Amino acid sequence: MKSEVKEHVISMLVNNRPGVLARVAGVFGRLGYNIESLCVAETISSKVSRITSVSKADPAFTEKVKKQLNRLVDVISVAELEDDTSAKREMMLIGITIDEKNRPELSRAITMFGCTVISMKDSYCILQVVGNRGDVETVLNFLTPLGVKDIARTGAVALESGA
Amino acid sequence: MERTGAEILLNTLSEEGVSEIFGYPGASTLAIHDCINETGIRHLLVRHEQAAAHAADGYARATGKVGVCIATSGPGATNLVTGIATAYMDSTPMIALTGQVTTGLLGSDAFQETDIIGITMPITKHSFLVQDVRDMASTVREAINIATSGRPGPVVIDLPRDVLAARCNDDEEGGGGFLEQQEIHFGEEELRRLKQIARLLNESERPVLLVGGGVKLSQAFTELADVIQKGNIPFVTTMMGIGSVYTPNGFNLGLIGTHGTDLANRIVHQSDFILAVGARFSDRTTSVIEEFAPLATIAQIDVDPTSIGKNIKTDISVVSDIRVALQELLGLVTEKKREDWIDRIDRERERIAKEGSDDGCGPAGECIRMVQECMPEKTIAVTDVGLNQIWAIRSWKVKIPRGLITPGGLGTMGFSVPASMGARIGAIDHEVVVFTGDGGFFMNIQELATIGFYNIPVKIVVFNNGNLGMIRQIQHHFYNSRYRDSRLSDLVDITEIAKGFGIPSEKVAAEDPRKGIEKLCGSEGPFLLEVVVDENNYVYPIIPPGKSNVEMIYGRSE
Ligand SMILES: Cc1ncc(C[n+]2csc(CCOP(=O)(O)OP(=O)(O)O)c2C)c(N)n1
Repeated sequence: MKSEVKEHVISMLVNNRPGVLARVAGVFGRLGYNIESLCVAETISSKVSRITSVSKADPAFTEKVKKQLNRLVDVISVAELEDDTSAKREMMLIGITIDEKNRPELSRAITMFGCTVISMKDSYCILQVVGNRGDVETVLNFLTPLGVKDIARTGAVALESGA
Repeated sequence: MERTGAEILLNTLSEEGVSEIFGYPGASTLAIHDCINETGIRHLLVRHEQAAAHAADGYARATGKVGVCIATSGPGATNLVTGIATAYMDSTPMIALTGQVTTGLLGSDAFQETDIIGITMPITKHSFLVQDVRDMASTVREAINIATSGRPGPVVIDLPRDVLAARCNDDEEGGGGFLEQQEIHFGEEELRRLKQIARLLNESERPVLLVGGGVKLSQAFTELADVIQKGNIPFVTTMMGIGSVYTPNGFNLGLIGTHGTDLANRIVHQSDFILAVGARFSDRTTSVIEEFAPLATIAQIDVDPTSIGKNIKTDISVVSDIRVALQELLGLVTEKKREDWIDRIDRERERIAKEGSDDGCGPAGECIRMVQECMPEKTIAVTDVGLNQIWAIRSWKVKIPRGLITPGGLGTMGFSVPASMGARIGAIDHEVVVFTGDGGFFMNIQELATIGFYNIPVKIVVFNNGNLGMIRQIQHHFYNSRYRDSRLSDLVDITEIAKGFGIPSEKVAAEDPRKGIEKLCGSEGPFLLEVVVDENNYVYPIIPPGKSNVEMIYGRSE
């Protein structure tokens, strides 16, 4: 059973109204599924939001979640995004303190991984990394021994790209 | 024209065909009660908000129209919850109006504030908080549309006090925000699948139709009867499917599942093809799912995609309005005699009749048959929960659409008396009879006051066994007859209580009820008949937990 668990990306369009996220999240919770990451924002229409969620789950997940989500009046469409027919990105912000010891390694990493320094106060800097999940995790793994203080990540945002 | 939010609310409800509301006032809903009579809608004051919800539910189940209830903010709203959940489980179209604190106080734990939308989220089809009086009319229309379309269900409209009081000109009203309800489309794909189902059905030798509550909800009574007659297809019903179809010629094998008949469960077990129509294969229907109808190919028609394949693996399915699908199916079904199958069923029926294994409703069942005999054919029966429910379902022969109302999904004790009020008010031309146990009767006993006050002529039969009968039966069979916490006693004089509420009443023994039943049926107004039943009269056959539908228990073990 365990081996069948895989990552599922669900992308839905919903009405941009109060309470909609609670209804959507309720569906996952009631079916006993955890949401690993969640991203919500307006689309080109201000009346419609896109919700992108990632869950690790068994094969029954997609059918169950899709059917229950489609029952919600505020859900306009639901689709599972597959790796080969969609583009997926996430962003991570990494807070790290610079000191004499880690400075050379850090600047090497910034160049090597193409990170952007988006804030630098005293010796505390925040780096921005964008990529697929593997990319951002590689950067994080590299930087962790250099003294990462905090991170924030968006989780996946994704769009269908066509076959 | 300038109107208040409360006026717009009521006028819109009225325009949408609502003529009765069941409810109970409080400070935050007074603006509504203040003008309700002027709008032509009749308000019926119940004695507990739970009863308002059940009454609205009963009204909807008896008429097919949306039922409406109202309660004030806070405790009034939370008292509706059991009734809303009951309606949700059985897909009743219902609108629950709740008062709310003024918008400025939302979220401040103000006096009598509860987040009723949050509380009811898992038990409503949808809900609205009206924050702007200009959205009132469109919200009400949208709510009714949602409650009644597709798979129906309850919708809560939460109404802050200031929005009800706010004034608004007709031309300021927003028409907007109307959500497109996904039309259930019957297209080529659906037709292709239906043809496949029809082919399997036509080829099958031992088919059975499994009729669920969805048939009633989509008003497909005649369509279903036509398919049954044309194809000579025997049918069984789920608890919610009872009262969907009446055929005089023995095709009805009865209720299936935990409390089903020996005949229905055995025939389903032998069938080679099952077509489920508006049924979700709940655990009450299938018992042990792996052992359900082991020889059958299973097909399913339902309006709600979530019902398909939810509990059982179906071989083929169509998502469609049931009425539309059955209309199409009628053209595709071939006329077939199925003599072998019908013979086999008849033989099984004779055997069961001889062994008496489906006669397990005892004197109470006989009593119910006698009540039905002396009531007009159009009478609607409303059941509570427990032994009384199974006795009634098994003994009352439903002859009209919507002829039996029962809280099948949630199994809510206390449902029957308030639901019967709603049914009687809604279905004006129909008599209404209630069958309840003493336990369930006590749970909404205060509604006798409502019945007396409005002189609602419902006939109430209370089977008094001094116990929570069904619990006692379970304890007898599966807890070694340790009857813990299931004895209610016979200290309460139910007939005196009824009389205290102004309702005429008689007491009879289940073995000799004739005189009482004649009075019950002959009474002009409401009447309560207390029928004393032996505490050891249970219902048989029943299926023990964890057993399949054909491993029934047929009687008491001493
Ligand atoms: C509100 C509620 N509480 C508890 C139950 C559990 N329950 C199911 S049947 C039953 C016994 C019902 O007793 P009674 O109303 O006297 O009817 P009888 O079985 O004796 O006909 C109980 C307690 C329930 N269904 N509903």
